[in-house]
Amino acid sequence: MSYSFEQHKIIGAIEADDDYWRHLEEGVLKVPRCAGCHTWTWPAHFRCGTCGSWTFDWVEVAAQGLIFSHTRTHYAFDRVLERREDVPYVTLVVELPHAGGIRLIGVLQGSDEGLAIGAQVTGSIDPPSAKSKHYPALRWQLAR
Amino acid sequence: MRGATAIVGIGQTPYYKRGTSPEPELKLALRAITQAAEDAGIDVRDIDGFISYASERSDPAKLMPALGTRACRFAALVWIHGGALAGTLNIAAGAILSGQAEVVAIYRSMAEGNSQRLRVAVAQNDTSSQYLVNGLDSPAQILALRAQRLMEHHGVPRSALFAAVQASYYHARANPMAYGRNTEMTREIYDAARPIADPYGLFDCSRENDGAACVLVVSADRAKDLRQPPAYVLSAPMGTMEGGGALEENWRPYYATAGQRELAERMWQEAGYGPGDVDVAQIYMNMNAMGIGSMIDHGFFSFEEAGTFCTFENLIAPSGRLPINTSGGDLAEGFIHGMGLIPEAVRQIRGTSTNQVPGAKLSLFTGGPGDLMSSTALLGSADTL
Repeated sequence: MSYSFEQHKIIGAIEADDDYWRHLEEGVLKVPRCAGCHTWTWPAHFRCGTCGSWTFDWVEVAAQGLIFSHTRTHYAFDRVLERREDVPYVTLVVELPHAGGIRLIGVLQGSDEGLAIGAQVTGSIDPPSAKSKHYPALRWQLAR
Repeated sequence: MRGATAIVGIGQTPYYKRGTSPEPELKLALRAITQAAEDAGIDVRDIDGFISYASERSDPAKLMPALGTRACRFAALVWIHGGALAGTLNIAAGAILSGQAEVVAIYRSMAEGNSQRLRVAVAQNDTSSQYLVNGLDSPAQILALRAQRLMEHHGVPRSALFAAVQASYYHARANPMAYGRNTEMTREIYDAARPIADPYGLFDCSRENDGAACVLVVSADRAKDLRQPPAYVLSAPMGTMEGGGALEENWRPYYATAGQRELAERMWQEAGYGPGDVDVAQIYMNMNAMGIGSMIDHGFFSFEEAGTFCTFENLIAPSGRLPINTSGGDLAEGFIHGMGLIPEAVRQIRGTSTNQVPGAKLSLFTGGPGDLMSSTALLGSADTL
């Protein structure tokens, strides 16, 4: 399979999260856990800083969590101009208690009623589109 | 290294609106460096060490021919962004105390028309796909996430952010160099400003100017015989703690502050002073809430005390509890990646600030808060050694 994000690779990152995007593009949320000491390692990296292992298991986790922080963007910034028409939009940092408390970023979809730190959200996966730079994207919705 | 080196010269070009500098970036750097040498009474040709940080492009190889440099014996660029600001002093001290260089220029020059810092260096350096895919590009947005947590979770009130803005613009009025010296600032004006990324509005953000600034560092011995009263470097640690670094909003445990707590502890320990001893502080404010976080990390107040500590009266010269950003700082004087903070910290020790704190002896300035690595520095007069 040829992945959309690989053909539109964003330059500058350390590229340890390629598997994250691959799984996401296949419609599954998977994050890395060290094969040696089982520490959830996020953001993805090449070596476990806790035990020194170079091997990670990509584990499927439920796309749900608690809002850790949030911001509403009121300006179309240069490098995310694709979202111009969505301004203002809300981006969330979401903590996943069932995956070692790692925090994943995603744009809020649906109503912002109840938007607050600590609020519960559930996630879904958008297929690659111009808006997300031809990467798949995790989207969060406030739990009703 | 405590007190073993000193800042003996300062130089600054005017602040220009971003992208409108009448002179190219390299020429701005030359002006700041030659001015600093003149200020110190040092022949500019004797500068033998060059230090800058982040994405600086006016490297010594390009400067040498025009400075008439006799020998460039040391050159270094400090990681990562504005967090490196104060750490440059430690690198300079390392070079001087190990005998590698005698006169070190620390400088930063920016002209958006030349280097396109915002469009190229900041934007395409290390902003990962995790941010960009999710609509986050600018430091303003990323630091807004930290500020939201600082305010909503830790309870720091809006009034604390406004006090920092108000104090900065108040100080700018007296500073002819300040780009924002004619900007009126009231709570009404502040509240009505264009929102950028919640909780930040326009006045919560630093300016991004064209300009250059430079300071010259020499050994404490050599500093004694020069033109200006030396500003001794008491401590200037850099780095970050475990749980910091490039973690894409996964910082632990100090997400909402500046990532400077361990740095500050190291600084107080090396300097032999504490937060209560500081006379005046130049607090790096890429965004004002990050500067509040920085002051919390330095032990000036706790989350709970931020509202009562950060009032206009407490933050202004000459007699506030902790006068901050006495030139107007990054918010109101101008922003060349924080580099304007060092000359002002030095002027306070010389007694030549346009918003002087009478008899200031201990003068703090901080590196970029919330940067992936940061730094902080305490300068002192001869009495503090």
